[in-house]
Amino acid sequence: MAGDRPQRKADLIQFLRTIQRPDRPIEEIDEDQRLVESGLIDSLALLQIVLYLEQTYDMDFRETGVDPAALSAVGAILDLIERSKTA
Amino acid sequence: MMKVKSCRDAVRAISQLHENEKLLAWVQSRRMVAWLTPIRRRQALFLGALLAGMMGLLHRHAPWRDYLTATTWLAPAAAMPLLLGLVYLCYLSATHFRRLPAPVRRRPQLSLHMVFWLMVAAIWMTPEEAGLWRTVLALIALSLPYLLWRCGYMLMSGQRGRAAGTSFRDHLFYLWPIWGGTNTPAGKGWDYLSQCEAQSAQAYARSGLAGIKLLILSGLWELSLLLLGGLVYADAKNSLTALVGGYGLGIPRLKRIANGEVAASWLTTWASLYFELVWDTLIIAARGHQWIGVLRLFGFNVFRNTYKPLLAESIIDFWNRYYYYFKELLVEFFFFPTYARCFRKSLRLRMLAAVFAAAFVGNMYYHLLQAKNDLIAGQWAELWGHLGPRLFYCALLSLGIYFSMLRQQKQRGKVGAGKAGMADFRKLRRIAGVWTFFSLINLWDIRSSLTILGRARFLFSLFGF
Repeated sequence: MAGDRPQRKADLIQFLRTIQRPDRPIEEIDEDQRLVESGLIDSLALLQIVLYLEQTYDMDFRETGVDPAALSAVGAILDLIERSKTA
Repeated sequence: MMKVKSCRDAVRAISQLHENEKLLAWVQSRRMVAWLTPIRRRQALFLGALLAGMMGLLHRHAPWRDYLTATTWLAPAAAMPLLLGLVYLCYLSATHFRRLPAPVRRRPQLSLHMVFWLMVAAIWMTPEEAGLWRTVLALIALSLPYLLWRCGYMLMSGQRGRAAGTSFRDHLFYLWPIWGGTNTPAGKGWDYLSQCEAQSAQAYARSGLAGIKLLILSGLWELSLLLLGGLVYADAKNSLTALVGGYGLGIPRLKRIANGEVAASWLTTWASLYFELVWDTLIIAARGHQWIGVLRLFGFNVFRNTYKPLLAESIIDFWNRYYYYFKELLVEFFFFPTYARCFRKSLRLRMLAAVFAAAFVGNMYYHLLQAKNDLIAGQWAELWGHLGPRLFYCALLSLGIYFSMLRQQKQRGKVGAGKAGMADFRKLRRIAGVWTFFSLINLWDIRSSLTILGRARFLFSLFGF
């Protein structure tokens, strides 16, 4: 499941489509596009992203805490996954 | 039809003035805009912060003159450097986060708040005759609720490894912001502000125009408050009331009806209930736009504090739009930590715990700190009078948010479609539902001597019981 960056990105975008706002379907998305600010997801959908990261990549936020900035864009989330792999 | 369209275009052009390319180019070409680089702007904010800190201290000193014996100018003069020292210590903790003792590193926010509670305990335990040092301690403790959440954001930056390499100047300006505000940090802390800071003249011009737009909007909301006070409430203190010869609707304020000061019909009571929500929203929007407007003028193009909450279609959406930075505070300091740590096996329980941690525990705790004068003076009856009914308000709010979140979660992922006419009707129904929910729970938030049960009785009377 946790392949290289392009594969992870494809998986992530597929997941984001399941939590998108009903009035803003996700078509194309840049790595730097801010998810909440651009209205693609609402701020509380971040919780779903946390859950996705915990379940898919076995990440644990208990020690580090949830940093909204690290979940703000696709690129930032992919960086977070990579950091967790090397930690 | 054409007129309606051109009118709409004109309104759009005014409301989107910060996106007007010609205007942007003109503002950007001003010498002042080029001169005001991020460093210069932050320098101005830093100097302003020192002034704002001192002014705040003197302001907080004033109500304590009646309670404390040593009330000379010495108290604020001694408290200011001590307070500055405390803030600096907090800054050092953030920038050298990894060197902190392990228990502090694990629970930085708890450690920070412990400092405040230790101070309060020391004040409670010392006799009033203790003299100047007690006054100084009280002044510092009174100033801390304003700083605790701001310092909390600074420590959070440290915890996330983003504070290293930043200077004290980078932080002090949002700890004692010249744009004022409540205990809630508008613009949060360094992490968020630095992300939104304009680095080029063009970005600064855009931010400045967006700030001016918010300041104009703030003025409009102040004007709306004046109109509401004069035409709806016919408030005797309102300058418009006399101007229109007292021909306002004369709807009493909700607390006057609830307290039994005036008799009102069933319909008037309901109208007062909804107008109270509009009144509160206008106040928070007017003030929030001022804070954020100033922040944007200094190049920090941050989110608005209030964004059309009266058009929200769900409870969670209203909560998100009404007082954005308060919601962010509760989410970052209470919701996320609970969500990350508790009930990880059960999604619903996990969400329920996190919602209650934020909207109930966090909300109550925030307001406990806000009632600092009663808290530090140990005036328990007054404290209970302020906070008792709020317990019920927060419980209802938490339940509302939880169920709204569950509902929203079900709808996520579905692409919206449907008949336009029906969709508009459903939208209106949802907006009305949100207004009614917040207007009703507001009964436990209005200033009144009524008990929790007394307010519940008033609620039932609205439904004819």
